[in-house]
Amino acid sequence: MSTVSPVLRNRSARIALTVVVAIALIAAPLLLPAFANQTLVRIGVYAVAVLGLNIVMGYTGQVNLGQIFFVGLGAYVTAYGVNHGWNIIVVFVAACAIAGIVGLLVALAAARLGGLAIAMVTIALPIVGVPLAKRLSEFTGGSQGISARFSDAPDWSGLYSDQWQFYIVLLVTAAAFLLARSLVQGKYGRAFGVVRENEAVAASMGVSPYRTKVLAFTIASILGGASGFLYLAAVQYTSPETLSFGHSISLLAAMVIGGAGSIAGSLIGGAYYVFVPQLTNAIDPSFTTLSQGAILLVVLFLLPEGLVSLPRVIRRLGRRRTARPTSGNPPQTAPAHHPVPEAAREGLENTERQDRP
Amino acid sequence: MGMGTFIQLVVDGLSTGAIYAALALAIVLVNQATGLINFAQGGLAVLSSYIAYVFVRLGLPLILAIIVAVVLSFFIGALVERFLVRRFERGDPDTAVVVTVGLLTLVTGLCAVLWGYNNLGFPSLFPLTSVEILGAVVSVRSLATTVTIVVIMVVLQLLFLRTKLGLALRAVADNPASAAFSGLPVGRLLMVGWGLAATLGAIAGVLVAPQLTLTPGMLDTALVYALAAVILGGLSSPIGCVVAASAIGVLENLVAVYVPFIGHDLKIAVPFVLIFVILVLRPQGLFGRKVVVRV
Repeated sequence: MSTVSPVLRNRSARIALTVVVAIALIAAPLLLPAFANQTLVRIGVYAVAVLGLNIVMGYTGQVNLGQIFFVGLGAYVTAYGVNHGWNIIVVFVAACAIAGIVGLLVALAAARLGGLAIAMVTIALPIVGVPLAKRLSEFTGGSQGISARFSDAPDWSGLYSDQWQFYIVLLVTAAAFLLARSLVQGKYGRAFGVVRENEAVAASMGVSPYRTKVLAFTIASILGGASGFLYLAAVQYTSPETLSFGHSISLLAAMVIGGAGSIAGSLIGGAYYVFVPQLTNAIDPSFTTLSQGAILLVVLFLLPEGLVSLPRVIRRLGRRRTARPTSGNPPQTAPAHHPVPEAAREGLENTERQDRP
Repeated sequence: MGMGTFIQLVVDGLSTGAIYAALALAIVLVNQATGLINFAQGGLAVLSSYIAYVFVRLGLPLILAIIVAVVLSFFIGALVERFLVRRFERGDPDTAVVVTVGLLTLVTGLCAVLWGYNNLGFPSLFPLTSVEILGAVVSVRSLATTVTIVVIMVVLQLLFLRTKLGLALRAVADNPASAAFSGLPVGRLLMVGWGLAATLGAIAGVLVAPQLTLTPGMLDTALVYALAAVILGGLSSPIGCVVAASAIGVLENLVAVYVPFIGHDLKIAVPFVLIFVILVLRPQGLFGRKVVVRV
């Protein structure tokens, strides 16, 4: 957030902007057509899942290929609770807590190995999850799935269901994003960053890489569970297809394309997850997977910090073109992550030679 | 269920285990050379199988179609290393992993666009008959698949231990900087490493395709098994991976039949429950040594 224009550094301007955004979000469902509301609702659902993935992957550097499993788990817990007449607050807490506990158990084992092992273990979650969901048909409704209606607008509100769902999703999504923002800005966020950069340094500073990874993974799972709750609020139905491997890959692609290690990027990731398949499906459904892979690779090549860094990159390019003196530079962000293209292109021998004094 | 069933299950398990082992070895090969895990290894193998399918449809004899596809796979693997992965090799390993996931998505999508999602039948290289061994009926295909993969592993081992190319490949894997200083063409050797891995994957793909039938996601599950084998065997131990892959193949087959609660649909959970237990009891893996890093 340090790169926003100087206007926003002003405290009162910032508060004013927050109020305007809040009013706009509260007013939006009353003014927009139902289809737009439903789309925004789905963006909120997946933004929370991407946010969780961002905590463990973007901020802590642990590749997680199984985030969709926790979304599915949260959705199933929600469906079960609703159909058994639990209070909706209890349902929400259970969806988050059960996903969190399962995530904790997985992380306790997986984080014992090096970073890439977490990726190798988590890829199994959706692949084991789908047959498991089919098998446990008492709870999940088997292959047909299970529906649960709890998000229809109550009569006293005078709202349509899409508007009511919008407010449910807005409430949870806003809370999740605000909590995640304070988390990554605080001491845990710094611990995540150190573990991502160098585990040995983290350990020497008294930050346990193991515990930090487990914590990040558990938080990601809890957010996955919350996203599952929202999914059921929006769709009112879930099936084993919800937690398929392909969807897990799409979540990861959305996170990277939105911007790894960025709270705002998670929101963009949620929007990507909803919009781009809609777009490619409209053109030709068979191109959906291909275009997703192509977009992901292009972003990794050209914009490694994701779409959220696009304004910054454009500004930097613009500055270079006008060749202004670099005196009044705003803080240059994160050159550390950029691979040096020349070094990479010329291969190993040359870079080694350049490194010599 | 007598002894006959048991032997049949073990032999079938060994043949699926051989497929997992080939993929696991390809993953280890890439990891040794470039230090990353290639999640697209299965996807590339599926592409190779589709290429073989195309040549079969063009009228080439099956064995020739397979050879052409395997050779082409070598070049596909090498080109992927050169033009896609090389740029990310020395950077953040997590980013490189995401690149291979992107590649998996791209290749799967490409296969879907070119050949669709419908299952396509792939002819079997081996006869679908069975023979009797020790009173058990065993399919020739299972036996032949296992033997083929074992022969290829031996050839690969000879390549690595007995040839100059193998020595160079091992040198690059061990220490790329020193290898470069001693005049080895590191870049080209990395391409060869990726090419060999793709070749290995292609062979696994065409051997298992008749059984699974061709779909873009044909090897997703096999990839997960191979990764489980890599975790259990240790990234630094090719032999460990082969042992682990065979053990997984046999164990999942036995569990599917003898433990009714798990059955055929949940047998994929078996290696991961095993991993879970082992990680809690023995964090360094079955064969791996505890790594000590100097800061």
